[in-house]
Amino acid sequence: MSAQTPMAVAERRHGARRGETRRRSGLLRIPLLVWAFLLLPLLVELFWVFWPAANSFSLSLTRWDGIGLAEPVGAQNFRDLATDPIFRTALWNNVVWMIGFGGLSVVGGLVLAVTLNKPGPLVGLYRSAIYLPMVVSLAVSGLFWRVMYAPDGPVNATLGLLGLESLQRQWLADPAVALWAVLIAAVWRQVGYIMVLYLAGLKGTDPTLEEAAAVDGASAWQRFWRIVMPQLRGVNTVVFAVTVIDSLRTFDIVWAMTRGGPYNETQLLSTYMFQQAFTTGNLGYASAIAVVIFALAIGFIITYLARQARTED
Amino acid sequence: MSKRTITRRELLAGGMTVGAASLLAACVGTTSGGGGGGGASAGTVTLQNSIQDADPKAALEALVEAYQGADVTLNSVATEQFRAQLTNYLRSGDAPEVLSWYAGSVARSYAEEGLLLDVSSLWEGDGACAGYSDALRALSTDAEGRQIFVPTNYYWWGVFYKRSSFERWGVEPPSSWDDFHALCENLSGQGIAPLTNGLSSTPWMASGWFDYLNLRVNGAQYHRELLAGEHAFNDPEVVDVMEEYKRLIPYFDTNMASYTAQDAATPMAQDESAMYLIGTFVTTYFPEDQRDDLDFFSVPVINDAVPTAEEAPTDGYFAAANSDNHQGALDLLSYLASPESQQQFIERSRSANLPTSPDVDTSSFSPMVQKGIELLNTTEEITQFFNRDSSDALQATADTALTKFLAQPDSMRSILDEWQTAAEGVFAS
Repeated sequence: MSAQTPMAVAERRHGARRGETRRRSGLLRIPLLVWAFLLLPLLVELFWVFWPAANSFSLSLTRWDGIGLAEPVGAQNFRDLATDPIFRTALWNNVVWMIGFGGLSVVGGLVLAVTLNKPGPLVGLYRSAIYLPMVVSLAVSGLFWRVMYAPDGPVNATLGLLGLESLQRQWLADPAVALWAVLIAAVWRQVGYIMVLYLAGLKGTDPTLEEAAAVDGASAWQRFWRIVMPQLRGVNTVVFAVTVIDSLRTFDIVWAMTRGGPYNETQLLSTYMFQQAFTTGNLGYASAIAVVIFALAIGFIITYLARQARTED
Repeated sequence: MSKRTITRRELLAGGMTVGAASLLAACVGTTSGGGGGGGASAGTVTLQNSIQDADPKAALEALVEAYQGADVTLNSVATEQFRAQLTNYLRSGDAPEVLSWYAGSVARSYAEEGLLLDVSSLWEGDGACAGYSDALRALSTDAEGRQIFVPTNYYWWGVFYKRSSFERWGVEPPSSWDDFHALCENLSGQGIAPLTNGLSSTPWMASGWFDYLNLRVNGAQYHRELLAGEHAFNDPEVVDVMEEYKRLIPYFDTNMASYTAQDAATPMAQDESAMYLIGTFVTTYFPEDQRDDLDFFSVPVINDAVPTAEEAPTDGYFAAANSDNHQGALDLLSYLASPESQQQFIERSRSANLPTSPDVDTSSFSPMVQKGIELLNTTEEITQFFNRDSSDALQATADTALTKFLAQPDSMRSILDEWQTAAEGVFAS
């Protein structure tokens, strides 16, 4: 083993050269069938995703009611957006939504995961119960929460039983609380998903590190932030991406619960876009909103990826 | 405590919204994608319709079943999706021959694009629509004087109440506007909410009272002109209407902002509220054993200088210009418009709708429907409804303005200014 025979060296060199040629001719050696498998989905994707998406860019520069011909208006739609009070409400609500939905579901999911990561009675039951809402579609959870929030529904009834009549509200009709009421319903559903992601991450951490830190006298708080959290970095990346994407694409639950009402106070960019496109038939204006949503999403993703790349260097 | 359940309609509506969202891609730019429409070859006719409720749907299916002419393919699409896809259906190369929709400004705007078949032949000589009233003829005529619509039934709006409850409370339907206010005061005193309404996912219900107060204060002509953009929403005339509306606010069920149009019938069925200004479709919101107890009165006269007017939205069919089988379409329309078909449809669908054909034997219809026919025959003017007399885009501005006004009546002036700004945006586009 220790003696390097010329034979062995030659063999290894030969092997290396063979590897290079294999790599160089690799592209040509891929069977035609694989190309077909790759190209077909690409064509479908181009036709059904990229082409319509590109269309919405060009439509955003037109005025189009969906019936006649689209009439080019330049950047007028974007100028109108700048002065549209409903668009401003929707934009602000999206910011509130992203912070509220993201923050609450990540904090809630993490707390639940840490709590339920310990062995104990009925832990499995708790975990599945918390994950269960995720199984139900957003539109259905919206309808379910509408019943919960009804004027004589369970939420107000519970407050009444607790003697908290002063807190009873028309949850979905009061502009001061409507957005938050919808947000809680959305977090209720999302938190189980985030919990499962963190539980998986916690299973992958090394318990001996934590034990060693405990022996060295680190408090539970220190152990969590200094020992466990750094090991969850991979999971955090996934959680962040999932949360940002889910909060930007939120549509169904708001539409099912309030339709953007009362008087547009819970409008998100997505619901306002839908309303403009399909209720009032302003497809050009709606496309301009779609472009804004796209810009926001891509902005977030690029900043995030850039930050990721810097920390990895 | 709570007797409310998720209804099939709400569930459907929720589901459809999600479905409709995925149609975005299909709607953008494609004019060839028919979307489940046509496919009609010679001798067959496609009837694309937006009927959703079980009874009317069964009624239409039975009608089509009995049709002796060409083979009819019946496609029933949920209303929201139908609305979103209607343009695509009409523009498609092989459009469905016949489509159900609303009379008035919507049909006219499609006719202007040349998408609708001229059905004037049905309105002449011994055509199926020849004997229809002049009001219906005017409603079905486009800007060039051609008929492009076949109305088959319509319904009226009124203040609905339960006769037995009024008896128990010792009150009677009012005959004047002052009576109406006295009635509301009386009911409030008995701890009953005089008026119910549902504005949550059906904010357009707020336009019901707006339209009626406008018809009673300023008249039908002003209503049409206002909705056509000839007057401003912050004009003194509209302020007068809003002042009347403001006087009604204390009488409304305080939960109206949380109810849908359908939910709002629940407190009335349970005798917690008394009256509901709504179309006759409200009868289906009530339990079967309460439907015969329902009665209605017309919103009393406020300004006797303006002609009487009622809202009577009209439904029916139009035919696509782009279909293969124009003759088949006209034959099917004749069949659907015939008095026998209308009678069969109305009886089978168990609705309180009225036939458009004067030849339908209405003697077997319920006393309430008789009263509705009488109301519409004696009124001087007939209007459709806010959205049908204007557009869905203008309706959205009304929804925002009116629901906000009902929540913050003291900001009425600034709300009207915002409404006018939003309306100008709609008329400019």
